[in-house]
Amino acid sequence: MRQAVLVGAVAYTTNVVPIWEGIRDYFADGPVEMDFVLFSNYGRQVDALIDGTIDIAWNTNLAWVRTVLQTDGRCRALAMRDIDRTFQTVFVSRAGASLGDLADLRGRRVALGSRDSAQAAILPVKYMRDAGLGTDDVELIRIDTDLGKHGDTGRSELDAVRALLDEEADAVALGINTWEAIGSDELMPDALTEFWRSPEYCHCNFTALDSLPDDVGKLFVDHLLAMSWDDPKQRTVMELEGLRREWVLPELDGYASLFTAVEEQGIPARW
Amino acid sequence: MVGDARTLVDLVARVGAAAAGERVPVQVGDSDPELVGRWCERAGHRLLRIDDGVAVIMRGPIPDDDAVLAEIPPERQPGTRLWIYTNFDCNLACDYCCARSSPQAERRAVGPERIRRLVAEGAEHGVTEVYLTGGEPFLLLDLDEIVRDCVARLPTTVLTNGMLFRGRRLRMLRAMPRDGLALQISLDSATPDLHDLHRGAGSWQRALDGIRTARDEGFRVRVAATVSPGAAGTDETAAFHGLLDGLGIERADRVIRPVAQRGFADDGVTLTVESLVPEVTVTADGVYWHPVAADHADQLVTRDLFPLADAIDEVRRRFADYRRESELAAQRFTCA
Repeated sequence: MRQAVLVGAVAYTTNVVPIWEGIRDYFADGPVEMDFVLFSNYGRQVDALIDGTIDIAWNTNLAWVRTVLQTDGRCRALAMRDIDRTFQTVFVSRAGASLGDLADLRGRRVALGSRDSAQAAILPVKYMRDAGLGTDDVELIRIDTDLGKHGDTGRSELDAVRALLDEEADAVALGINTWEAIGSDELMPDALTEFWRSPEYCHCNFTALDSLPDDVGKLFVDHLLAMSWDDPKQRTVMELEGLRREWVLPELDGYASLFTAVEEQGIPARW
Repeated sequence: MVGDARTLVDLVARVGAAAAGERVPVQVGDSDPELVGRWCERAGHRLLRIDDGVAVIMRGPIPDDDAVLAEIPPERQPGTRLWIYTNFDCNLACDYCCARSSPQAERRAVGPERIRRLVAEGAEHGVTEVYLTGGEPFLLLDLDEIVRDCVARLPTTVLTNGMLFRGRRLRMLRAMPRDGLALQISLDSATPDLHDLHRGAGSWQRALDGIRTARDEGFRVRVAATVSPGAAGTDETAAFHGLLDGLGIERADRVIRPVAQRGFADDGVTLTVESLVPEVTVTADGVYWHPVAADHADQLVTRDLFPLADAIDEVRRRFADYRRESELAAQRFTCA
């Protein structure tokens, strides 16, 4: 009998432990067992995936891109959360700042989250470039807290919002999850307002190398996708992990913009 | 406005970083309490209070009642067992009786009509088993009618001391259905000493005779022993099982439980609504949390016997609340 599938995850919050213990318990009743290993950063996790220490990595989109680049594509995405298919970045200003589009940021200060955050730094820079804003057209205020966790903690984005509220920045780029956690502009319409929203892109996925046997990968994915929002115990884990309702198969086209951004910005494949 | 926005950012940072279920104090200053409440509701957290500019928030996701109840095995789900105290009077005066039953206890009978309705409503609302207990149910001369009505709806167990199977009451026993009915007879020890010490001289032998009679009449018999802490050692327990083996009582039909510090008992296990998995219990006076405390105000759920579904729902809701609270207490109580 095969040993348990070993999944790596990054410990960006105390809730990572109950999340993965819950998923491990769920798999204990299934056709393939799984266990997990926690890492302090995505760099170590991707290294562990490539050297075979773990079978599957619960990766951010940047960790996925870097795995693809380091393995010359000899890896695959197995599954993701439903919210990972429709992730977005929003640009937010103080209410009444008269910013209507990214082009309006010319000559302004934009606060970004950690430089390894796809949603709050890498993609926002790409979006501004696509809007015709060069390096000298915008003053970037980078808030590099929690480097290594790819923005998972949200801390750098919240610090960026504080900079905006303190009038140290004119705009801020946030992941849609952080914007919604604050209450978007529904709870404080007189303080902050969203003025631009990106196209949807993909965020996290379960990444495996091509060496993972197909039957094992299929058993893992089939059982993962069978997790039910209608089961109270399973739902608790899914809520904690931030799912809207279900695990889904990956949509790889949703990573194209990040591959482009990584190449354009010269972000190394390994760090 | 900016102050409120800063508060929201602080809430996301502080509560978001906490463990699920943790109580998180967050400085909110003069921010609008309604805004804090709306943020909590939207984010799936629970605002517990705001005192002196500090909001205390329970970090979500907060498991709903169904999620809490899912942790309990199906056979122990609150609301699956329905206990009915048919009367309260008893032919014995056991010194540990949790219901304070005795020959001097006033009869407080639920009556066949209400029992029929309780079982019917219970069956419609998830009850899967009925337990009839006394005092001593066999003091009721319409017990056979009551039992037939219950068994017609649900599997039923009658708790008895087994001492009254003579004359008219033996005929009543014989008139009861065998299918869907079990008799749970109290027997505390392998020899008369311990049993008679608490239940009265000669009661052990008569209970034993009652077990034999019920078995001979073709009834399924369970035996329940109530044991004082430390009273039954390994040898006593082995002897007790040996006796029950000889009587043909299945292993699964043996219940050995400690004395509860309730009713007449001075000592025993302390049981509270927070520590018990509830088993909905109806007496003539109301609906209670558990049969071990059916004569105690602290475990009264409602004085209204009907509709029974409301009482069952209330028990399930309260149980989920207690479980959530105890989980939190376990998380925050540390000694060092």
